[in-house]
Amino acid sequence: MNLNFSEEQVMLKETIQKFCDNDYDFYKREEVIKSENDFDLNTWNLFAEQGWLSMPFSEDSGGFGMGPIELSILFEEFGKALVIEPYLSTVVLSGTLIDNSNYEHKKDIIERICSGSLHVSLAYAEAKNSYNYNLPSTSLSSDLLLNGTKSLVLNGGNANKLVVSCIHNDELALVIVNADKDGISMNTFPTVDGQSCAEITFENVTINSEDVIGTGDNALTLLNNAISLATLCVSAEAVGCMSSCYLKTVAYTKEREQFGQPISNFQVLQHRMVDMFIESELCRSLLIKAMLEVDSGSDDMHKHVSGLKAQIGKSGKFSAQQAVQLHGGMGVSDELMIGHYLKKLIVIDALFGNTDHHLKKYAQ
Amino acid sequence: MELNFSKEDLQFRDEVRSWLENDYPKHVKAKQDNAEPLTRQDMVDYHKAVSAKGWMGYNWPVEYGGTGWSATQLYIFNKEFGLAGTPPLLAFGVSMVAPVIYTFGNEEQKAKYLPDILEFNTWWCQGYSEPGSGSDLASLKTKAVKTFDGKHYIINGAKTWTTLAQNADWIFCLTRTETTSIKQEGISFILIDMKTPGIEVKPIITIDGEHEVNSVFFTDVKVPVENLIGEEGKGWTYAKFLLAHERFGIASVGGSLRALNKLKEIASDLENTDLDKKITELEIDLNALEITELRMLSDLENGGQVGAESSILKIKGTEIQQRLTELMVESSGEHALLYPGPHGFGSNDKPSGPDYSADAVSKFLNMRKTSIYGGSNEIQKNIISKFVLGV
Repeated sequence: MNLNFSEEQVMLKETIQKFCDNDYDFYKREEVIKSENDFDLNTWNLFAEQGWLSMPFSEDSGGFGMGPIELSILFEEFGKALVIEPYLSTVVLSGTLIDNSNYEHKKDIIERICSGSLHVSLAYAEAKNSYNYNLPSTSLSSDLLLNGTKSLVLNGGNANKLVVSCIHNDELALVIVNADKDGISMNTFPTVDGQSCAEITFENVTINSEDVIGTGDNALTLLNNAISLATLCVSAEAVGCMSSCYLKTVAYTKEREQFGQPISNFQVLQHRMVDMFIESELCRSLLIKAMLEVDSGSDDMHKHVSGLKAQIGKSGKFSAQQAVQLHGGMGVSDELMIGHYLKKLIVIDALFGNTDHHLKKYAQ
Repeated sequence: MELNFSKEDLQFRDEVRSWLENDYPKHVKAKQDNAEPLTRQDMVDYHKAVSAKGWMGYNWPVEYGGTGWSATQLYIFNKEFGLAGTPPLLAFGVSMVAPVIYTFGNEEQKAKYLPDILEFNTWWCQGYSEPGSGSDLASLKTKAVKTFDGKHYIINGAKTWTTLAQNADWIFCLTRTETTSIKQEGISFILIDMKTPGIEVKPIITIDGEHEVNSVFFTDVKVPVENLIGEEGKGWTYAKFLLAHERFGIASVGGSLRALNKLKEIASDLENTDLDKKITELEIDLNALEITELRMLSDLENGGQVGAESSILKIKGTEIQQRLTELMVESSGEHALLYPGPHGFGSNDKPSGPDYSADAVSKFLNMRKTSIYGGSNEIQKNIISKFVLGV
């Protein structure tokens, strides 16, 4: 048994860590969020130059053939720095789904994703308040007209192409379509964690038959694997947020003096921070288990991702709420990162199924 | 033992209900129903309407124009307002500074300040916390130094987390007039006109995107000595007196009941047994809180005293308020990730999906403050362990 990262993985972690520590400034990120842009284009291009946008894709498609372990490393560091660039939607959700499909133009699309010139969003959710993604109301008629409305399309406003889940011939299908095609309209909305999503309506949008990239069981597998991988990634991101929460809280309480002493002297706060540390370590353990299961493609991989995500929802909220509480008024100020970890962890709990949903899935 | 209200109390409750239904300003109600933000003028209109009804002095004695209500009536009043979903009445003037003025101020001060507070002609804010003085409030450093002629104080320092200072006409401040070995001594309670030169208000934006709190900076602010309340150096005593007045209503039973009912309504459509169980647990918690508050009320009404155990109301009341917003976020499912910002989505392009999700996270984030302000819940537990458990 060896639960340590390989030498290459350690190097990858150090490179990403160095970038996040030195070049990903929280205040610059805040400016980007407040501007018209949803993310920083220079940063995205730098991701491309570093090869990070190519990480999870097969070598046949021009990627590096890395897997869930490397993605977890990347997302944990992204979590610490609260990176807003739309890696999750373009690379993980849409990119890996397309790469795993039999779509004949996939090589061209993956190459353009790797070079940073193409954004693709996966339209998997709808207005109905449910985490069941396998029964969309959006439909593709027998003469290949797409109709319906998709909600919460992550980074949808910046997407050049969309992968859309729909029902075709009474079964699930996935189609790929240019975002500027006739019959497509959208509204974009900010998300709690400083990103954006879109509500997209399709009205008699014509789909080429070659752009139906999966149907039936194949579509189910493609969709569920992409969402499972994305769930693993946001869980790794949450682990990064949680470790930053306790580390920053320890540093703050050592510095903040009340009643003539650092507040870290008070045992009630010490124990609270120990609890935050323990929660973060337990989540890391479940993350390691889940990423190994996904890496090996085991039958139980979805179950272990659910176990991880259920715990992340609970522990993440606990850690961030305690971090805010122990920072006092500063914790709720927009100027400090602490409150933004809370926002991120709330969003992560809501995405792809919250704690209750994944507890049920795990128990099935 | 009798847990029910008297006939007179029930009549009073109906009177409050009827006013809320018929006489509460309609334009304010309309905005609240559409989840639109209220302006300063809306808040003024609301308070002036309460004042016109004669209810502004809800916790004042009759001799100063107050209602002279019993503790039970005050409780009913608070609960009904909460149940109706009104914004909480601004406490800074009527419920915080006013009792200090009518208890410790001189006749000129009572005549100068109390009528305007009662009619809501002046908006007050509270100058307590400082960047270095939060839980340890008595360590405050804002200095008030008397001029040579003894006619003014010159005030220098900074206050923080000052709620709605951007709207305020006056601020009541704890200031240090003397540096003593015991930090609680040497603090004085001074009223300051916000228009005085040398005062600067800077917004603090909170994580829900709101501008509710501020930093207030004082640079050589010249204040007449007539604005000192009571004796110099006795400010801490007055501050503690004021805190005792803050306790009731802090449990926010009415507001929480309203939120709970809304949550139950939402959950009834979701068929989520996990959520239903959590809501039931919360309902029992809220019941326990309400009866606990009523027990303290009964003690007061029957000649008893309520001591440090009232901190239970602050701790459990805020925990329940926070939990309610958490469950609202859970009910929103994936739609919780949408962020409407402090001014909503606007009327034109609302996202589809459940409408209650629109401000679920904003409210959740906003409620984080409740376990921090007014003496953090950790401090409240220290109070109980010291003064109730005696450890």
